[in-house]
Amino acid sequence: MTTVTEPESVAAPFAASGVGRRVPIVSIEGLRKSFGSVEVLSGIDLDVHPGEHVVLLGPSGSGKSTVLRSINLLERPSAGSLVVDGREHATPRSSGLFAGAPRGTALQLRRTVGMVFQQFNLFGHLSALDNIVLPLRSVRRMSRRDAEERAAVELRRVGLIARAGHYPNQLSGGQQQRVAIARALALDPQVMLFDEPTSALDPELVGEVLRTMRLVAETGMTMIVVTHEIGFAREVGDLNVFLEHGKVVETGGREFYDECRSQRARDFLQAVR
Amino acid sequence: MDGPTLDWSLVWDSRQLLLDGLVVAVQVSATALALSVALGLVLALLRTSSTPLSWIAAGYINIFRGVPALVSVIWVYFGVSLAFGLTFTVFQAGVIALTLLYSAFLAEIFRSALSAVPPGLKEAGQALGLHPSRVFFSVTLPQAGKIALPNIGSMFIGMVKDTSTFTVIGLLEVVRVTQNLVSTTFQPFVLYTAAAAIYVLAAFVIDFGFRLVENLMTSPPQGRLARALRARKRARVERLIAAHSREPDEPLTPAAV
Ligand SMILES: Nc1ncnc2c1ncn2[C@@H]1O[C@H](COP(=O)(O)OP(=O)(O)OP(=O)(O)O)[C@@H](O)[C@H]1O
Ligand SMILES: [Mg+2]
Repeated sequence: MTTVTEPESVAAPFAASGVGRRVPIVSIEGLRKSFGSVEVLSGIDLDVHPGEHVVLLGPSGSGKSTVLRSINLLERPSAGSLVVDGREHATPRSSGLFAGAPRGTALQLRRTVGMVFQQFNLFGHLSALDNIVLPLRSVRRMSRRDAEERAAVELRRVGLIARAGHYPNQLSGGQQQRVAIARALALDPQVMLFDEPTSALDPELVGEVLRTMRLVAETGMTMIVVTHEIGFAREVGDLNVFLEHGKVVETGGREFYDECRSQRARDFLQAVR
Repeated sequence: MDGPTLDWSLVWDSRQLLLDGLVVAVQVSATALALSVALGLVLALLRTSSTPLSWIAAGYINIFRGVPALVSVIWVYFGVSLAFGLTFTVFQAGVIALTLLYSAFLAEIFRSALSAVPPGLKEAGQALGLHPSRVFFSVTLPQAGKIALPNIGSMFIGMVKDTSTFTVIGLLEVVRVTQNLVSTTFQPFVLYTAAAAIYVLAAFVIDFGFRLVENLMTSPPQGRLARALRARKRARVERLIAAHSREPDEPLTPAAV
């Protein structure tokens, strides 16, 4: 199990008084994933508490994306337990807090968890506004009017209301990614997953997306972020998880970047810094 | 050699009959196109599924892509009535014959179009919690449709031309009309040239129509027709932008749930 550094804000009173342990919103235990005969994840444990900001680090191919994609079942775990919002989505546990957790459906899970992709993945045939309206209408069953109103609010929050009628191919990469963030946030997820959200961007556009993500972090949103932006990771990472070859090599709190223990993690941080 | 002189005025005199023939050809083809699009899509989905039906779809596609329209319509019109005692009108037989062939072509067109849709878009739809059928109809299909559209246009032109073989069952399409005229005027060269011109004209018009639709389906939609169709939406979005731009910038605050 991972050691968890509580984010000061929400958790402090509980931690100080020792009253009840907070319940993780995402809890992974013994997660394994194989593609054919190749095992890509070899038993991952991870607890993410509400409001926590988790950073996943590791070399290319270490399994970071696969962990994120497993959390919303874009990949089906081969083995292990995945509990999100108190519901089991993989193999039920026999002991612990989530033993006997009710099973959840993929749709329930995905309506709890939002995801932002490296390639933005905006729907190219829809305007920025309609990219947000579509899921609001379909998932939230909102009327067109309400959905457009809500979508406009979300676009305003990422500073793109003026571009509401633009299509993805009329937006810069940074703008597209901010729309993608707004689209995910509009559904009021309890957890946001970010898979290298700035890796496909020109260097000068990285800042605007990180700024938006910082603002999301400040709202207290639970976030799990895969990133190579060490500056950003150091800033927001309450819990930092270093993966290699499908295993967690080391986890650490805010001190991780200055005093990580494993040579592997040290080498990695040296290389990407 | 003392051949007959070419009487080009025949073309003008016969224009109504020839155009009537074209209307029949286009009606048969358009009906068959609509059916072929639906059936072709289903075949493409079956073909890419991992069920045994995939093999059946593959067999169907490979057989019917190779069957000539002439044979197809004879099967349908004469064969089916012999085998099952079902009789079709010539119009129905023409529609079914074309649908059998072109649903196979369209299945292949849809298969490649569907596979050309970036998988990330489907994943984004899934990750948003959209129902799988919603992902298909609102994300995958519009993207694939845009990719497939030019090829569908070519297929439609091919269908109209293939109706020329339906003269064999007596469908009053362009070639049948031409044959009838030839039998009374003995001007095959003039009349078949006119028939060819009619097909070329039809191809032009079809191509133009598909280009209009393509323009509507580009992102953002292009052209005057798109502007007219989208005027109300545009006004609504502009009102929305104006209303929200007046308000102070709202930084990301804990979601107003
Ligand atoms: N669909 C798949 N089929 C087969 N192998 C896969 C598949 N997806 C991922 N892999 C393999 O699993 C391993 C882990 O991949 P993953 O994408 O999770 O790594 P990552 O840490 O995100 O790497 P990167 O930093 O390059 O994005 C890699 O070796 C990759 O080749
Ligand atoms: Mg990755």
